[in-house]
Amino acid sequence: MSLERKDDHDHKGWMESRELSPLETIYLTTLVWLDKRLRIVDYLEILEDLYYKVNMQMPKSHTEQYNLDNKFWYWYPLYALGSFSTVAYIVAAISGALLGFYYAPAAAAADGSPTVAYDSVLLIMGQLNMGYFLRSVHRWAAQIMVAAVFLHMLRVYFTGAYKEPRELNWLIGIILISLTLVFGYTGYLLPWSQLSYWAGQIGVEMSLSIPLIGEWVAQLMFGGFTLSQATLQRMYILHVFFLPFITTAIIALHIGIVWMQGIAEPH
Amino acid sequence: MSDNDSDNDDVRTDGSGSGIVAPDDETPSWSERKQRTQGLSRLTYEYFERGRREDQDLRQQSDYVERDVLAFPAWPHEMMRNLALTSFFVGMILFVSAALPPEMPNPANSSVTPAIILPDWYLYWSFGLLKLGPLNPDLAILGGQKIMADRTYGVLANVVVVGFVAIVPFLNKGAARRPVEQPFWAAVGMSGVIFSLTIAALSIKNLVPMNSHLLFDLTFLVPIVSGTITYAVLKTMREGYMFTLNRRYYRLRPPK
Repeated sequence: MSLERKDDHDHKGWMESRELSPLETIYLTTLVWLDKRLRIVDYLEILEDLYYKVNMQMPKSHTEQYNLDNKFWYWYPLYALGSFSTVAYIVAAISGALLGFYYAPAAAAADGSPTVAYDSVLLIMGQLNMGYFLRSVHRWAAQIMVAAVFLHMLRVYFTGAYKEPRELNWLIGIILISLTLVFGYTGYLLPWSQLSYWAGQIGVEMSLSIPLIGEWVAQLMFGGFTLSQATLQRMYILHVFFLPFITTAIIALHIGIVWMQGIAEPH
Repeated sequence: MSDNDSDNDDVRTDGSGSGIVAPDDETPSWSERKQRTQGLSRLTYEYFERGRREDQDLRQQSDYVERDVLAFPAWPHEMMRNLALTSFFVGMILFVSAALPPEMPNPANSSVTPAIILPDWYLYWSFGLLKLGPLNPDLAILGGQKIMADRTYGVLANVVVVGFVAIVPFLNKGAARRPVEQPFWAAVGMSGVIFSLTIAALSIKNLVPMNSHLLFDLTFLVPIVSGTITYAVLKTMREGYMFTLNRRYYRLRPPK
């Protein structure tokens, strides 16, 4: 009895008897290696099922069935707005990650003297190679994302695409548009300029005027009833940690549902 | 080595077995297990079985086309088209950002209130809803006092607007897709769009060269007027439009 484990299924012999091409050998070796560890075979049925669901055979779409392309072609560019907002989101995410290398969310004061946050934005704009462009890209990607999301919502409204069975995705869209706006708002506060500060002031007052839970909301979102270092810190963490995760997940869900249900064409 | 033969009763303890116990006659199969269950899981099973039958019926219908690929092939056609559109779009963002870089205002100063306090443009509508104080009703029963503070009223207005947009699918049902088929809802949508613009104008009223009372009135009048116009136009278009549409349908699928 050797201490070496036996290969119960003799994969090696089986593979040698098959006259496989090098590519096939590599593929099978990898598959067997993974299968021994993860038991992929247990999930094969699910994968197969998934494959057929993804390549689902749908009935002809209305436009296709009645050959209505000549009637609807002018709608089609508007159907790209959802994709455009996603693309803009990705551009903003990449440029934002690069900006994050240089930005520091520290603002001890609001007395008109440049704070650390303000100075780091100035550094990005003035000292860093391509830094001004980077900030510009981030800002414009955000602006375009918001615009595309608004127009996307209008397209969905006016083509009645929110109707059964897509009500749930409409609600998810409302959540997404709100998250986009919060994204924009938190980002607006980060340079800690005059505009940022006073927009923050409005935010605090809005939270405080919510009945019953107002003070709690102000504490949670702004770290107090007046703007301070805590506010900037919270806005920063919301902007670069919470919102990206939440928004990305919900966007994936949103697009997944669209994929599953198909595009709603005007009839 | 024959110690892993099934007739050998020795239990292998070196961890090299498959660890899977073969099913005997008593072990229910997976489908039996599903059929046997009670209550909610049973109900779920029945529902999905019914769904599967309905799917099958659909597949057997005459206008159902089985195809390997739904219309345009995803690879390479659709992917290439997407890549081209995406590159163009990203290029557009880069171009705009190179052409119009952002400004940097002064550092934050809590002792100097700027003349103009504004969020980014996409929050103007929300900012404008905070300025609806004049509409906040004061009740005679409270001796002319307002039932809630103006700013609470503004926050509530935001909730109401977003809430209304959220419940639209539950108010407007049916299969109609085109504005012309539902002039009323198209009018609601159009007045909503115009209202979002006018309320945005209201939020920057100190920049709009207009009497602020007039602006306040127009904020609500213009959406109503444009909604009415939309309704009238669509209602007028409707008859001819529906006629052409029906003719097209009946040509393709003549009634029996």
